[in-house]
Amino acid sequence: MKTKLKTIYNDYVKFPKYILFHPFDGFEEFKRYKKGKLIVAIVFIILFAFFRVFQYQYTGFIINENNPLMLNSLQEIFSVLLLVVLFSVGNWSVTTLMEGKGSYKEILMVTGYALFPMIIMGFPSVIISNFLTLEEIAFYNLLMYMAVIATGWMLFMGILNIHQYGLFKTLIAFIATLVAMSIMMFLGLLFFDLIQQFISFIAAIYEEISLR
Amino acid sequence: MIKLFTLASLLVTMPVSFISVNYNYSYYGETIHSAPGMTFAAYINAQSLGVTLTSPEDLVVYDEEIYLVDSNTNNLIVIDNGFNLVKEYVSFSLSTEYQDYLTDQGVVDFSDISLDSPHGIDVNDSGIYICDTSNFRIVKLNHDFEVIATFQDMDDKTFDLELDDGIEFEPMKITVDASERMYVVAKGVYEGIMEINYDGDFNRFTGVNPIVLTPFEIFSRSLMTEEQIAQLQLFLPTEYTNVSINEKSFIYATSKTSENNADNPIQLINPKGVDVITRNGYFPPKGDIHYVIGSNNYVIEGPSELVDISSTDHGIYTVLDQKRSRLFTYDSEGNLLYINGDEGSQSDKFSEGVAIEYFNDDLLILDRGTKTIVVYQLTEFGAYVNQAISYHDEGKFEEAALIWEEVVKINSNYEIAFNGIGKLLLRQENYKEAMEYFKLGHDTYYYSKAFKGYRNDIIKNNFGLIIGSMVVVAGGLMGYKVYSTYKKGGSILYED
Repeated sequence: MKTKLKTIYNDYVKFPKYILFHPFDGFEEFKRYKKGKLIVAIVFIILFAFFRVFQYQYTGFIINENNPLMLNSLQEIFSVLLLVVLFSVGNWSVTTLMEGKGSYKEILMVTGYALFPMIIMGFPSVIISNFLTLEEIAFYNLLMYMAVIATGWMLFMGILNIHQYGLFKTLIAFIATLVAMSIMMFLGLLFFDLIQQFISFIAAIYEEISLR
Repeated sequence: MIKLFTLASLLVTMPVSFISVNYNYSYYGETIHSAPGMTFAAYINAQSLGVTLTSPEDLVVYDEEIYLVDSNTNNLIVIDNGFNLVKEYVSFSLSTEYQDYLTDQGVVDFSDISLDSPHGIDVNDSGIYICDTSNFRIVKLNHDFEVIATFQDMDDKTFDLELDDGIEFEPMKITVDASERMYVVAKGVYEGIMEINYDGDFNRFTGVNPIVLTPFEIFSRSLMTEEQIAQLQLFLPTEYTNVSINEKSFIYATSKTSENNADNPIQLINPKGVDVITRNGYFPPKGDIHYVIGSNNYVIEGPSELVDISSTDHGIYTVLDQKRSRLFTYDSEGNLLYINGDEGSQSDKFSEGVAIEYFNDDLLILDRGTKTIVVYQLTEFGAYVNQAISYHDEGKFEEAALIWEEVVKINSNYEIAFNGIGKLLLRQENYKEAMEYFKLGHDTYYYSKAFKGYRNDIIKNNFGLIIGSMVVVAGGLMGYKVYSTYKKGGSILYED
C-alpha cells in the first residue's frame, strides 16, 4: 500500500514537478526512459476539465461574474477535450512534415503533463479566492497568471524536446499548429453545414414525394 | 369539448397578453418582471385646453406652470397646475428697453415678433428662451412675454455661409444656467453643445462626443489616396438630441447612439465640458440593453433612441425612448430604477414622445403623434423607491433600509433594494447578514467590505485558537522530524 501511494505521488506530482523545473533533463527521461505515462496525462486532462467547471462555479463571489444557473458542465468538458484533440492532432500533422521525432502518443502526453501547473495551482487559488477581499484579489490573479505561464512554458519545452527541435523551429511549429487547428475547425464547420443542407434536401425530397 | 377548452384557456391567457408587462434587467442581463414605477394619471390635449395643437415640440415647467411650443401653429401655450389654459401667445411685443436698444442700433421697425417653427423652450428666473428654429435665432422674453433680446448670427466658422460647408444656425433645444449662459443643440452641428454667453456671443462647444477609430481603420485610411478618403462615409461624432440643466449647472444631455458611443448616450456634462455621469449600475445607462439587430418586419430593432431627459431631486433622472415609447428612470449612481411607458394611440399611451419634464413628482410626456400631454404619477412602488433613494442620499440609512424592505415586499425581484438593506446592516456591523444581502444585490464592492469585517471578527474572536493550532502543528511536524531522524539512528545536529 505504502509503495503504491509512493508511486502515485512520484508519477503525479514529483515527476511533473521535476519536468517543470528541469525541462531538458526531465523530457529526456520522459522520452528516452519512458518515464512519462499516458494514464497520468489523461488524468490531468480530466482534472483540467473538472477544474474548468470548478472555477466557473466556485470562484469567490467578488470576481465571479458567471451566472451559476447557466453552468453547462458538458460544454466545459467538451471544450477542453476539443482543444486537446485539436492541438495534438494539429501538432502531430505539422511536426510529421517538419521531421519531428515525437509520436502522436508523446504529443498527447506532453499536452496532458503541461496542464500540471494549472491543476496544482488552480484548485488552491480558486479556493483561496473565496477568502479574499476586493483589494486582495490581486493574489488570486497572480497565482492564475503564474499557472498559465508555467503551463505555456511546459508545453513549449515539451514540444521542443520530444521533437528534438531548436528554439526557432519550435516557434514555427507552434504557429503552423495554430494554422492547422484553424483549418480543422473550418473543415469541421463546413462539414456540419453541408451535412445539414444535405439532410434538409433529402427531407424536402421525401416530403415532396410523400405528398404527391 | 375542445371548443370549451379553447374558450377557457383564452379566458386565462387573454388578460395576460393584453396588459403591458413591466420589466427590469437583472445583474445577469435577464429581463425580469418588475412592479410598475409610474402609471397613467391624466392627459391634457387640444380639446381640454381649447386651443389648436398640430405639432407640439417641447415643454418646460417653471413656477407651477407648463410652457409649451408648437412648431406648426407657432404658438407659445401656458398651462397652469390644474391643467387649464392660462394664455396662448401668437406674437410678442418688444419691451421698451429693447426698443431703446434697437433705436441706438438704427432700427426703426418695432412691429411684434412672431415665431417660425419653434422647437425648443426653456424658462428660468432670467426669462423665457425660445429656439425660433426657422428664423435662425433664439428669442428671449421677460416674464411679461415681451421680447428683450434676440440672438442670431453665431460667430463660428460652422455657420459661415461663405464657406462650402457652412450651415444656417438652426437652434433645436435650449437650456439656460443661473448665470444666463445658454446651452443650445443646433441642427447639423456635430461639434457638441453650443455655449452662448448672456449677450448672445458664441463662446465654445462643450461636451464633444469623441470619435474612436479602430487600428484597422487607421491602417486602411493611411493606404488610401485623398480621393478615396473623400468617397468614404464621413466619420461624424453623434449629434446631441436634448439638453437639460440641473441646479448645480451640470448639463444632462442625450445623444443618438452610434458605434462610437454605444454605451454613453446619456451624459452629465460638468462646467468644464467633461462627462461625469456615474455608471455604477449593473449596466451603463443607455435605455434598453437587449434589442434585435438586423432587418426584420415584426419587431422594432436597434438601440433605444433617447430624445429627452429630465431630472428631479436627489439626482434621479428619466430618459425618453422615442423608438419604443419607454421611460427609463435612473438614480444618481446609474442604477436602473424602473421602466415605464406604453406605446399606443389611446389617451393613456403615447406613440411619438418628444419631450418629458418632471412636474413636482409627476412626469409630463409630450406626444407629438397624438398631440397630447400624458401625465404619469408615481405608484406606491415608485414612490417608495424614490423615497428610499432620497433618504439614502441624505445619509439616513436606517429610514432608507426600512423603505427598501417595503419595496422588496412589493417586488422581490428588485436587486437594488437588497443593497440598500445591506448597507444599513453593514453600518450596524452585522456583517454576516450584510454579506447575504449584498450577494442578492450583486454589489461586490460592499460585499468585500462586509466580508472584511466578518473575517476580522472571526480572527479576533478565535485569535488564541488560531495561533495555538499553528504552534501545535508546527511543533508537531518538527517533533516528528526529530523523532524519525533519531529512530533511523541519525543525529539532528549533524548532516550525515
